[in-house]
Amino acid sequence: MIPAPPESGPPPVMPEPPAVPTVTLEPLKKVRTEKVQKRANPKTVAAEVPALVAVTPAPAVAAEPAAVPATTAPTVEPKPVEPPVPPKPLLKDGTYSGWGTSRHGDIQATVVIENGRIASAYIAQCLTRYSCSWIAGIVPQVVQRQSAEVDYVSGATQSTNAFYYAVLEALSKAK
Amino acid sequence: MSGSHLHSAALMGTVVNIQVVRTADQALDRLAPDAIERAMNWFRTVESSCNRFDPSSEVRQLSRQIGVAVPVSAILFEAVQFALAVAEESDGAFDPTVGVAMEEHGFDREYQSGASTASGVRERGTVKYRDVGLDVDARTITLQKPLLLDLSAVAKGLAIDLAARELASYGHFAVDAGGDLYAAGLNPHARPWSVGIRHPRETDQCIEIVQLSNAAMCTSGDYERRRPADDGGHHILDARTRESPAAVASATVIARSAMVADALATAAFVLGPADGVQLLERSGVMGVMFTPGLERFSTTGMAGAAIFPNA
Repeated sequence: MIPAPPESGPPPVMPEPPAVPTVTLEPLKKVRTEKVQKRANPKTVAAEVPALVAVTPAPAVAAEPAAVPATTAPTVEPKPVEPPVPPKPLLKDGTYSGWGTSRHGDIQATVVIENGRIASAYIAQCLTRYSCSWIAGIVPQVVQRQSAEVDYVSGATQSTNAFYYAVLEALSKAK
Repeated sequence: MSGSHLHSAALMGTVVNIQVVRTADQALDRLAPDAIERAMNWFRTVESSCNRFDPSSEVRQLSRQIGVAVPVSAILFEAVQFALAVAEESDGAFDPTVGVAMEEHGFDREYQSGASTASGVRERGTVKYRDVGLDVDARTITLQKPLLLDLSAVAKGLAIDLAARELASYGHFAVDAGGDLYAAGLNPHARPWSVGIRHPRETDQCIEIVQLSNAAMCTSGDYERRRPADDGGHHILDARTRESPAAVASATVIARSAMVADALATAAFVLGPADGVQLLERSGVMGVMFTPGLERFSTTGMAGAAIFPNA
């Protein structure tokens, strides 16, 4: 399916790693190298997965030290996870409102911050030519679901939506 | 359960959530909020290079210098180089030179203010990704014709990767930028991160769930960023037709890098189910696509879990 490029000879599908950009992009270069290797054996990824699933052991940095088997010789005395310093909440807890504007009208969003994180966001008022019900469909995307079943949801962003900017304005008040 | 450090911010046209699982290393744990802030700053840095809506961004400055080799930042160079590689790989269906076409479809406004941010670039004839020249050694970009680069399909992924690199020492964290994300290590319950793929039609539901560890997942959907013109189109253009493709409702890609996943999700979306899956197979990544009728297409490697060793 890859047509030979008309003007240049070599048809490498991905570029060579950049010669010497900044150190900042190091991990990306690694990825690219790895991609090239994987291309040689497209089954690699699929083949790796079950094996690695089986292997996934206790985490190196144990999230729950109690779960680490006593038989393993711990290099570091497992300290009780008792973080005395609560994380500095970068958003202040509370309820905030903001307006977002688009050519199609304005939306007022209300955002609730709990423990420094967006707990919920909803439309308080909707003065657009879109129906409120259509806009309501995108609201859950702002708030990550925090059920036990799903940590995150891969989906879509709504950057051109007035609701996003209403949330943004509300968030700016929470700083 | 040990809990997490959590921080949300509105950045790069979306809401970014960063979650770092608490670690028993108290010194490291105490520094987590600062590390998260540095990670958030990568989004600001990438945006200042790649945001086509910002007249002062590097990419907009580039569009004012036609036929000249312009030295650029490592970030802009990386984004453009990778976008061109995906353009080549998708035979031009994905093409970062669609900036002016996007403006013509109404994506020319800074939505917070409603003010026009149109670049004013006047294309002469058709432009393609081959009209962009790169010099790796000098780290310059040359626009051979008047054009405007749209890096929306790579910039967010690049920012996610840079943020993840900033947090690497924590081992267990997630960087989520409005549904495009990287999940490292294990979640606060010491299990792989459980990530749902949004149902493209019932958008408050998930259509399937994947366990991720040290992997990125990005989704392009026709349900995101509806066009301002409200004509049924959306924000993804087939560069060959300059129209919104209609064969795919959502395309999700899992890769080791968010930039790879982000760009390939968009490219697969544009190519349609059959060619899109082929592209993903060739590129050695996993992916799943749904048509508007919810027919499912996936790579052979697509499974319920993508668990990679720590990079």
